Amino acid sequence: MLNLLAIFFQSGTNTASQTTYADNASIWRHMSEALHQSLYRVLSLFIAVLPGILAFFVALAVFTLIGMAISASLRRALTLFKFDDRMARTRGNVEWTPASSPTGLVARFSFWACVLLGLIIGVAAFDTSYATGTPLPISLLPYFTHAVGAILLLIAGNLIARFLSRSVLIGAVNAQLQYARFLSLGIKWLVLVLTAAMVLDHLEVGGDIVELAFGILFGGIVLTLALAVGLGSRDLVSRSLESHVERTGDRNPSARDGSGSNPAETIRHF
Amino acid sequence: MATADPIPAVSTASPPPAASLLVMVAAMPQEQLDRLLTNLTAAFPADNMLVATQNEFTPNANPALRLILAPSTNAAWASTAADFVNAFQLAQEERVRAVLMLGPGSGSLTAQALHDLANAVLSSGVDLAMPRYMLPPNAGLINSAILYPLTRALFATRTRFPQAIDLGLSLRMSERLAAAAQRFTSASQADALIWPVNEAVVAGYAMDEYDVGPRALPQPADTDINAILSLVTGSLFADIEAKAAVWQRPRRLPPPRRPSPELAHADGTVEGARMIESFRFAYTNLQEIWSLVLPPNTLLGLKRLSVTDAAEFRMPETLWARIVYDFLIAYRLRTINRGHLLGALIPLYLAWVAGHINTTAAGTSSERHIEALAAAFEADKPYMVSRWRWPDRFNS
Repeated sequence: MLNLLAIFFQSGTNTASQTTYADNASIWRHMSEALHQSLYRVLSLFIAVLPGILAFFVALAVFTLIGMAISASLRRALTLFKFDDRMARTRGNVEWTPASSPTGLVARFSFWACVLLGLIIGVAAFDTSYATGTPLPISLLPYFTHAVGAILLLIAGNLIARFLSRSVLIGAVNAQLQYARFLSLGIKWLVLVLTAAMVLDHLEVGGDIVELAFGILFGGIVLTLALAVGLGSRDLVSRSLESHVERTGDRNPSARDGSGSNPAETIRHF
Repeated sequence: MATADPIPAVSTASPPPAASLLVMVAAMPQEQLDRLLTNLTAAFPADNMLVATQNEFTPNANPALRLILAPSTNAAWASTAADFVNAFQLAQEERVRAVLMLGPGSGSLTAQALHDLANAVLSSGVDLAMPRYMLPPNAGLINSAILYPLTRALFATRTRFPQAIDLGLSLRMSERLAAAAQRFTSASQADALIWPVNEAVVAGYAMDEYDVGPRALPQPADTDINAILSLVTGSLFADIEAKAAVWQRPRRLPPPRRPSPELAHADGTVEGARMIESFRFAYTNLQEIWSLVLPPNTLLGLKRLSVTDAAEFRMPETLWARIVYDFLIAYRLRTINRGHLLGALIPLYLAWVAGHINTTAAGTSSERHIEALAAAFEADKPYMVSRWRWPDRFNS
């Protein structure tokens, strides 16, 4: 009897330990299989898109080199033909004056056009290899194009903010507005906030929160500026109106027809 | 082999004999025009002169004069590109030998002044006859601060009013100016300014200057200093940029003329005080922009100037010359937007004007001060040429 019991207990213990051991091995095997499959899928994806990535960089590098060559030859040819002088003669003194010479602009434009072309071709190659290589639902490519657009928006917004800020600062200083710097800063931040909101919206980050935050910030800046300028310029406006009325009253008709050269007159800039 | 002149064969009708002089008169009030016509009649034989006016006229009003209607332009102040193009076209049509261009307010010019200007281009072999006006000390300040010293230093000419309102032109000078103006009119910029002195220097034409006495100076339609300074200075800077190959060559300045008499001294201390305040305010706000254009030494000079007492406020000639040159170089390099650049120059110009007012108020002759300024521009020309050729050398 005792032997029977002993055999029973012994066999029961062995069965339990064998089952536990079998379960542990199964988990490890499953984990291992899952990891292997995951690694396999990632490596497969990487191998599938690797030619595309390489194609992207090769296209970008080749077209950058082509762009540099075209830009250099254009710059040399246009300098040889005195393109800047000709443009200066034909355009005269126009209001819009870019920060680079016409030759520099043409050369730079041709270079960046080539870089952009290389980028498009590279992205197209990447897109092809990515689409054929894997059915994975990762939306990498659309996000990448959105990111490029967002970067362009950011650059344009910064340039516009700087231009407008300087325009306002110089105009306000020459108009003797005491809050010139404040006004200039306000304009700068208005444009920067607008740019940031556009960038985030373009990247589809934040959703409604960005719109709400932008509305509050933009409205706040505008209200602050309006209050500051409105309260600060009351005296200025009244002085300006008074001096305008005085000028209108005292205006000598001869000053308009050109006979107003009076030795007692104080300052005449021309 | 001698050939016949083709012109008579082409022209079928030739009513009156060709006049020698074409007088182009800008639009002006009728009483001024009447005064001008009287002076012109006193200065020249009427049959030797053709007057083209933009004013409406009745043919019988001045039977002694040959009057024709000139195309209308917007020359409310200096002659525009369209005026030069019209002048040459009329000169060609009427086969005259010289052109006398008279701007608004020219009714105040004497008959002698008109005669001197026209006679120079008709019989003295001069291609460009420039007037030298007698102005009050505080008039024509943009001309005194920038146009005259800069033109004198770069183009080696002592013409006191490079953007004169009245001009005597030989036919070939008129043709040259019309060609220069054509580039603007074809780009729909008929109101652009043309710089006759610079054109004459580039072409190597003879020019001379004639004292014409006091003259009523018309003011631009937009009397805002910001607009005037940007317009005139921007135009001159662009012309200097286009003629860089010419003015970089060393030239000898003609000997000085005897100084012209000045009109009565005018008081401008009130405006001067306002200008000093304007400069100080700009100094606290525009340093960031000025530092992109001006070297450290100049900024240091401006700092010293900003703390100078109003009564002692004077901008040194060397400092002003350096400022103008650095702005000209920044204009060429497009260091910042050109509109911004010229806007940033305005407070500095006002500082110079304030200093000029103080100088003349202290008893120094206005002309002597302006001549000293022009000499400073000449002395600093090597710096200008050096930075023009090697702009990266941002030395002091």
